[in-house]
Amino acid sequence: MATIAGLSLSGPGVMVRASESQKSNTVKFPLLLGQRSGSGRMRAVRIVRAAPDRISEKVEESIKNAEETCSEDPASGECVAAWDEVEELSAAASHARDRKKKESDPLENYCSDNPEVDECRTYDN
Amino acid sequence: MAACTVYTTQSLNTNCSFPTPSKAHLGFHQKQVLLYRSRTSSRSSSSRPWVITCAAGDSQTVVIGLAADSGCGKSTFMRRLTSVFGGTAEPPKGGNPDSNTLISDTTTVICLDDYHSLDRTGRKEKGVTALDPRANNFDLMYEQVKAIKEGIAVEKPIYNHVTGLLDAPELIKPPKILVIEGLHPMFDPRVRELLDFSIYLDISNEVKFAWKIQRDMAERGHSLESIKASIEARKPDFDAYIDPQKQYADAVIEVLPTQLIPDDNEGKILRVRLIQKEGVKHFSPVYLFDDGSTISWIPCGRKLTCSYPGIKFFYGPETYFGNEVSVVEMDGQFDRLDELIYVESHLSNLSTKFYGEVTQQMLKHADFPGSSNGTGLFQTIVGLKIRDLFEQIVASRAQTPVKSAKA
Repeated sequence: MATIAGLSLSGPGVMVRASESQKSNTVKFPLLLGQRSGSGRMRAVRIVRAAPDRISEKVEESIKNAEETCSEDPASGECVAAWDEVEELSAAASHARDRKKKESDPLENYCSDNPEVDECRTYDN
Repeated sequence: MAACTVYTTQSLNTNCSFPTPSKAHLGFHQKQVLLYRSRTSSRSSSSRPWVITCAAGDSQTVVIGLAADSGCGKSTFMRRLTSVFGGTAEPPKGGNPDSNTLISDTTTVICLDDYHSLDRTGRKEKGVTALDPRANNFDLMYEQVKAIKEGIAVEKPIYNHVTGLLDAPELIKPPKILVIEGLHPMFDPRVRELLDFSIYLDISNEVKFAWKIQRDMAERGHSLESIKASIEARKPDFDAYIDPQKQYADAVIEVLPTQLIPDDNEGKILRVRLIQKEGVKHFSPVYLFDDGSTISWIPCGRKLTCSYPGIKFFYGPETYFGNEVSVVEMDGQFDRLDELIYVESHLSNLSTKFYGEVTQQMLKHADFPGSSNGTGLFQTIVGLKIRDLFEQIVASRAQTPVKSAKA
């Protein structure tokens, strides 16, 4: 299953680490957004699948980012928004984990597509 | 029964889809849209085509609103609710895999995060959280929910939680039941008017902390301090914008720490209160033994043996934010099937179709969180109440005579 995913960057001129591609199963090209070069904006979009590892790394990064932002000014809107981002990503990570758990049982997958075969018959009473 | 209304195109939502008009016949369910130009259009400078839309009486969607902070069991609630109606809710096939929408045969669940007006970078720049109304487009939310309620399919934006961006929209066709879940279903008064029933999941701070620890400690990078800091940072916005919605809800499921174990801070045993507003159309509150009286009930005794710390029930009328409510409360945990059946047989007005339906639904999803305490029980009961509400609304609409066309 393929999607077109855009990577959002926290600031201009930040490039995605190439090491990410080794950890996940699919190949990604770094996405450059908002960067002005002589030939205009350069954009390489690669079809990727959102792997839980990627989300986990995002969670880690966002926590570090939030801690840094809040050490400067704990009462600012940026600090609050940073922790909100942590919360959002943690929720996404937990949903991804649940989905992964659900998808890992081959019998479940087979039976959701073929409920009428003998292996998948269920008896309610 | 079909009711036909005449609109000028200017009054139509631009997100209308026009299905190919087929021959109208008795028993058609879809909205038939006939477009024609008025003969006098050549005279007037602004030619206004007239559109006649006919909707079959039972094609109007029932809209349910569900509000809660993230990580508070909304998705579990959704799974229980769709299971009551039959079938499983799944993301739309062939669409964006990061879509938040769930579709089953009868229900469609829309996540209100899709109506964020600011994506993650936008919010970071402005320094607002997703809880802040400034980060959400309530006008679009109102227009689209209204359109779906009237039977018009809409192109709804998708908020991708992984990337934090707003993706290309997806088509949402009007289902029988539309559930809008998120942080602000009852925030905007116009959207509130569209809801046939609304639920608020109110999790107390201690329980929220315990649940978030359970959820996040497995993640690298998270520590107790970071989880605590995250909750504390969001608390001001949450208290200002999300929490006040509970006064508008028809049903509130409040989750608190148990009173059965003194100084319990593990958060495993929960005290759950189902606060039901009185006087809501098509909704008759669940009660224990005698409607309107105050009952305190410990089912464990001679007929039923429970393990420590047991189960305690309470039922009574109360006032909640100035509204008359009936509260059913359960403190403790179910350990065995017969405890569940015993409790179900003593609750009244459950809107079950057969004896033991609540128990059956709880057992069907025994692996869901909350299946052994009041959260699962009350979520299942609310699901049955919503089914009952839906059937009543459909039945009452079928009896309404054809109304004359409105100008």
